[in-house]
Amino acid sequence: MRIIAFPGGEESSPSEETWLAELDAALSDQAGGPAADSWRELRADVRSLAPPVSPEFMQSLERELAHPSVDPVRPARRFPWLRARRSSPGVAGAPRVLGAQRAIGRLRVLARPQLAGVVALVAALAVAVAVVGVGGTGAPGRSASVEPVAAGPSHSAPSVAGSQAAPSKGVTEPNRVDDLGPAAGPYSSSAGAASAAAAAAGRVQQLAASVSLSASPGNVQAVSDGVSQLAVRDEGFVESSHVQVQQHGSSEATLTLRLPSARLSAALAAIGRLAPVSSESQSLQDITNTYDAARRRLADATAEHQALLRALAKATTEGQIDSLRERLSQADGAVGQDQSYLNAVSRRASTAEVEVTVLGSAQASSEGLTFHRGLHDAGRVLTVAAIVLLIAAAVLVPLALVIAALACALRAWRRYSRERALRV
Amino acid sequence: MTRLSPAAEERAFDGLFRECASDVHAYAISLLGDRASAEDVTALAFERLYRARARLDERRGTPRAWLFAIARNAALDELRRRRRRPHYELDDQGSDALDGNAARDAGGPEDALERVERRETLRAALAALPLRERELVLLKFHGQLSNAELARAMGISESNAGTRLHRALTRLRDCCADLDHQEVA
Repeated sequence: MRIIAFPGGEESSPSEETWLAELDAALSDQAGGPAADSWRELRADVRSLAPPVSPEFMQSLERELAHPSVDPVRPARRFPWLRARRSSPGVAGAPRVLGAQRAIGRLRVLARPQLAGVVALVAALAVAVAVVGVGGTGAPGRSASVEPVAAGPSHSAPSVAGSQAAPSKGVTEPNRVDDLGPAAGPYSSSAGAASAAAAAAGRVQQLAASVSLSASPGNVQAVSDGVSQLAVRDEGFVESSHVQVQQHGSSEATLTLRLPSARLSAALAAIGRLAPVSSESQSLQDITNTYDAARRRLADATAEHQALLRALAKATTEGQIDSLRERLSQADGAVGQDQSYLNAVSRRASTAEVEVTVLGSAQASSEGLTFHRGLHDAGRVLTVAAIVLLIAAAVLVPLALVIAALACALRAWRRYSRERALRV
Repeated sequence: MTRLSPAAEERAFDGLFRECASDVHAYAISLLGDRASAEDVTALAFERLYRARARLDERRGTPRAWLFAIARNAALDELRRRRRRPHYELDDQGSDALDGNAARDAGGPEDALERVERRETLRAALAALPLRERELVLLKFHGQLSNAELARAMGISESNAGTRLHRALTRLRDCCADLDHQEVA
């Protein structure tokens, strides 16, 4: 008798859903009756077809479980003997492949999702920081304007009321840009004017800057004094100052400084440390033509003066002598005037005019000022952080999409390949 | 196996091993027809399950279902590597074991003989099944997986898995009937 008790083999088949439900209920021992018994018997028959697992294999597995060589960092080494077993003949994974497998295993460390995510995040942040660093701007409120306006050959005296400047008879050579040498160093680190100055080698340029400081009303005088001391320390001087302090209301101080051009950047930085800078600007004006014209005029006047002296030495008549002396007197005046003008132009080039405005308001009290600065700095940090995150997201999101698409494709391909193994 | 203490995790894994190792081995050897490969697949399945134990989500399947899904992937990888049709013929040891299994079951000698004959017919019918359907039957009965777990292991929908299982068992039944008729004739 070889009739197999097979469910659904004799009566008409029920619907597929009912059939599958009966099968699951029978196999999970939740149903009784002949049909369920038949399913269970079929299961037992199928299971009995497989040869039993060898005792040696089970013992080796149990041994491995009883004394696991678990490496907490690499739990994959729990079954190191597995690699050796794979080298058995007739089993995929020949011994010569083991080296490559180990190499691939090392590379698989990079395929761990967490590590890959960290690497991608770090790379994105690095890119973001690089982008922010390249495209970043200076502090808010700071501006550097370059006005490469070539001064025309104007003969009007420059508006430098530097009465404190020592009147020099000799011609003082201004600091041409190509002559500044190491003294020009600080300029090269500031934006705008400095870079323009560096680019215009051989030119005579006039620098100017204006700075606005915020201070509490009671602190305006102290800040003004600090600015004056800084000017003196940097071998400059205060050209003019005006300080207005009110008991109630706003106080204000305005100082005009003359500082050596080579020390402008350092001086501005030092002024910025006295009080919060609310705004700052720098400007540059090319006065090469003015300087050259002044020098030519002085040379002409000097040559004329020398010629008159020679003519006077050769004069023989009283009339000639009187006439030459009168012209010499006029030439002396012209030489002095031209020399003064040239000195003024040189001074304009070798010194920078810095206008400092100290604004005192009740809101900018000492503590409030610190708090305000803290808020400002915090806001700036948050802004930069947001920009960095935004750029990182701009890098990471497409990257993640590409990786996800590749992972999906790889998974689908692996599934397809596995299922294809069954199409025999 | 979700978020247990390490000791509890170890105990759960050991329990799963003792409960399922022979079933996984039986599934693998039935599919691959090669004892060494079956042992490799069995060990590999437990190794992979151990490595992935922290990522297992019991809401998406029992550890047993996960284990059989892993074993199925490993077995299919093995088939893919071999690129040849796996033989289902049991060796002498398997036939002896078949006879031994039948003899150990309850009942008298006649029952044992009938069981041996029935299982021989079943073995022949399984061997006649297409590999895809045979694999499904083996996974169902050795893995003792529900249809939902079968579907998850195979990466298909539950209804699709049910349809395939229904078709495979129907074909198995037809094969058994044909073989019976041949024997009777």
